[in-house]
Amino acid sequence: MAACYGAGALLSLLLARWSGRLALGLSHLAAAAGAAAGLALSLGLLLGEPGRTLIQPLPNIFPFAKLSLSIDGLSAYFLLVVSVVAVAAAIYGPAYLRAHSPDAGSPRQAAQGFALNVFLGCMAFLCCAGDALTFLFCWEGMTLASYVLVVSDDRDGENARAGLLYMVMAHGGTALLLVAFLALTERAGAFDFAALRAAATGLNGPTRTALFFLALGGFATKAGVVPLHVWLPRAHPAAPSHVSALMSGVMLKVAIYGLLRFTFDLLAPVAGPLPFSWGWTVLFVGTTSAVLGVLYALQQHDLKRLLAFHSVENIGIILIGVGLAMILWRQSTGGALATVALTAALLHTVNHAAFKGLLFLGAGSVLSRTHLRNIEELGGLARRMPWTAGLFLLGAIAISALPPLNGFVSEWLTFQALLGGATRFHGPAGLVIVFSAAMLALTGGLAAACFAKAFGVTFLGRPRTSQAEHATEAPPSMIAGMLWLGALCVALGVAPGYAMRLLDAPTAALLHGPGASAVVTARGPLVLSTALTPSGANGTAISMTMVAALLIALSAMALVLRRGVRRAPPRVAPTWTCGMTPTARFDYTATAFAKPLRLVFAALYHPRREVTRETAGTPYVVRRIHYAGEIVDLAETHIYHRVEREISALSQLIRARSTGRIYGYIGFVLAALFVALLLLGVAY
Amino acid sequence: MIGDRPLALVLVEMILLVLVGPLVTGTIQKMKARLQCRRGAAVLQPYRDLAKLFRKGTVQADTTSGFFWSIPILVLAATVAAGALVPVIRAGPPAFPLGDAVMLLGLLALARFLTAVGALDAGGAFGGMGASREMTIAPLVEPVLMMVVFSTAVAAGTTELGALAAHRGTSWFLAWRAADFLGFAAMLVLLPAETGRIPVDNPDTHLELTMLHEGMLLEHSGPGLGCMALASHTRQIVTLSLVSALFFPIGPAGGASGLVLGAGAFAVKILVLATFLALVESSYAKLRLFRVPQYLGVGFVCALTALALRIL
Repeated sequence: MAACYGAGALLSLLLARWSGRLALGLSHLAAAAGAAAGLALSLGLLLGEPGRTLIQPLPNIFPFAKLSLSIDGLSAYFLLVVSVVAVAAAIYGPAYLRAHSPDAGSPRQAAQGFALNVFLGCMAFLCCAGDALTFLFCWEGMTLASYVLVVSDDRDGENARAGLLYMVMAHGGTALLLVAFLALTERAGAFDFAALRAAATGLNGPTRTALFFLALGGFATKAGVVPLHVWLPRAHPAAPSHVSALMSGVMLKVAIYGLLRFTFDLLAPVAGPLPFSWGWTVLFVGTTSAVLGVLYALQQHDLKRLLAFHSVENIGIILIGVGLAMILWRQSTGGALATVALTAALLHTVNHAAFKGLLFLGAGSVLSRTHLRNIEELGGLARRMPWTAGLFLLGAIAISALPPLNGFVSEWLTFQALLGGATRFHGPAGLVIVFSAAMLALTGGLAAACFAKAFGVTFLGRPRTSQAEHATEAPPSMIAGMLWLGALCVALGVAPGYAMRLLDAPTAALLHGPGASAVVTARGPLVLSTALTPSGANGTAISMTMVAALLIALSAMALVLRRGVRRAPPRVAPTWTCGMTPTARFDYTATAFAKPLRLVFAALYHPRREVTRETAGTPYVVRRIHYAGEIVDLAETHIYHRVEREISALSQLIRARSTGRIYGYIGFVLAALFVALLLLGVAY
Repeated sequence: MIGDRPLALVLVEMILLVLVGPLVTGTIQKMKARLQCRRGAAVLQPYRDLAKLFRKGTVQADTTSGFFWSIPILVLAATVAAGALVPVIRAGPPAFPLGDAVMLLGLLALARFLTAVGALDAGGAFGGMGASREMTIAPLVEPVLMMVVFSTAVAAGTTELGALAAHRGTSWFLAWRAADFLGFAAMLVLLPAETGRIPVDNPDTHLELTMLHEGMLLEHSGPGLGCMALASHTRQIVTLSLVSALFFPIGPAGGASGLVLGAGAFAVKILVLATFLALVESSYAKLRLFRVPQYLGVGFVCALTALALRIL
């Protein structure tokens, strides 16, 4: 795997001078091979004997630390998630990049191939890291490689700004992580995870919690959790689409991996439940992200930006499961419910990777054929790009958590875990959990509304611009990449019980309890069941397979009804528009579609609306109407702009003290050093 | 939890729901007519309408994509599949797992999502308007509905509707507590929204100012429209059955007499709820679209209080 990614990166560098096209093809081929190797490795480990950990020492680069890889169940599972989407992206990539920017010079193509391989390699190794140093190096490599990919497609400077914001936010997060990890390594005197685990046992409660919140801040920045999400809707759309799929589908999940590894494996106390504040904070943050993410997504008209906001939502849903698992783990009344919650979170991880990857690739197909991202300018693409449209619809149904596809399965498990939590905790805690379930239901409904809009306005109706009108279907290799992820969405939706076997190793490794399949598929792989009450007497069982079969049988019967008695082919006529000649201007636009919800949730959007009329002398003859509407991101205006103002004010203050004389600066430095030493002296 | 409702009974119940669905609509229309001092059409009129539609040919808009033709099939299938998940004449979980209340709401949401997608396909303003409004109301209804389901599910420890109904037992009317009354009140608030009736939607008009659901059906015709109409009849009776399964089920009873009793009780329950809908439709005006969230807010408060009473 390493060899493949490394070879891909090197090849693209070597070929940079010679032929960009060849570099692009070969580097993606190498990436596909690497992903396939990762897939084989992780599947082998997940389906092999339980509890096995693969340890592979790495060559010693640093004299002070031994580097190693250690792949246990959790690592293997996230490696699987990385590899699944990487396969699709590698198949999809070359054709996309050629179609999207045919005029790109070979250095740029080679740089993209190089960065893609580095990005994938870093993510894969990050999941397998056996020590803090490897982890942090891969983390940084992942950030830098994705930054290169974000700015690689620069046309108007906006990508560069998005990239800069991404770098600033990502490094803020990395700084927090660095402190959290170094605090542990300093105690342990070594970098490998086993030593860190041993060092963490000696921590006292407040320090442990402080370290947890540092790590949570770091990982949440990378995962794009509200209010640390501002970089995400800018950076993800800027990257080439298959890289957006990787960033949204996989890179955010790597942050989840880090959080799980740090919390449950490294930092958790030896016995007893996790501190009270951890799980509840994660649950709260997750619920907020889910609702706000989908609400902001609803008002986006840039297809890729809309999808990026949905990543914020889905990370929220994953965090609801993680938070619940943290709350319930090792509780005396918890039973196997923590396993259900963690299973829901992990399953949603792979589900989100599949459908979000699919949707980003679909958006990429549209982008490469029309060079438009604003859905108001599209329309009517279903007749011109039927494969892309069908697969996008599949992804839309999956992400809206509608049965019988995979999004529903993980949300169902989350609901069950929440309901079980509510029966465990009487009092306000139970009410909070149930409220979070209601918010999850709201999220699902809003996601369906958002994707009815996104799919309907992009693919249905009449084309609104000539680019949309003359669009053609994407090339087969791009369709193949999407088909792979689409098939995954269907398979994970219709027969999720088989995926539970893959979840056995990670859940057992993290929670030291029964594996996922023992809890969730206790009644055979075709049935998902949960026991909500501690005694396990009552419970809920569903069978996605049965429901899917029922749906297919009923569709066949409805097909007979649909053909009617006459069985004549349909007569074709123009759409009814009250007697006027139908044009594209009769189609409902995305702005109009989302308007009622914009008004209902006006308190969260602060919508601004400006209408100016150009009249011909008299107010009764209107020549032209200009409409400008805008909504604001609350986090941006209320937190970031305020911080920005504070920082500017502070720098103004400092500027007044900068006299330009070097002695003054040296004095400042000495004073700062003195204060720092004084503080340290007091602390020890 | 393995129950005793065999597959055959579940399928029979599902078919029964589909067959009786139009009758409920006809009855409501008849009651409304009588309340308005009209004679009204016969209660069997919806069946005649359906038969007429299935005999007709189809006119399809020239801008539609390949999805449009299959939308009525999928909508009908999803709605009828939801009908298989709700216990009708006998409580208790089915002998094999199929789906629970969350799945039922999911299938109904799937049908709604596909209807909205179909409405956008023809590219007229009416379809878009209907789809936009429907998809505005739906996300507001769903969480409240889910909370009502949870308020009963927390007590029973399951979201499987048959098991929920069995948990209440035959003596449900003696065991109702404050949480049940509030939950039921929330359900009554939601019922017109979920069945597409006044004060949220008006099933009788095609005026663009009032319509939600009808606006989305405008471009469907012939058998396709028939499928959509059958789906909305089924959706209505499935929602009514959901209410009765949650709040006044008939407990498990064996033998033929039990089935007859269950069928009779089912007819009475649906009739009572249908009368409620007819009364509400006749005595209220349709709300402005932007007043609907406030109306649903009443349901939300009831459901939240019900849950709080149950959990605290």
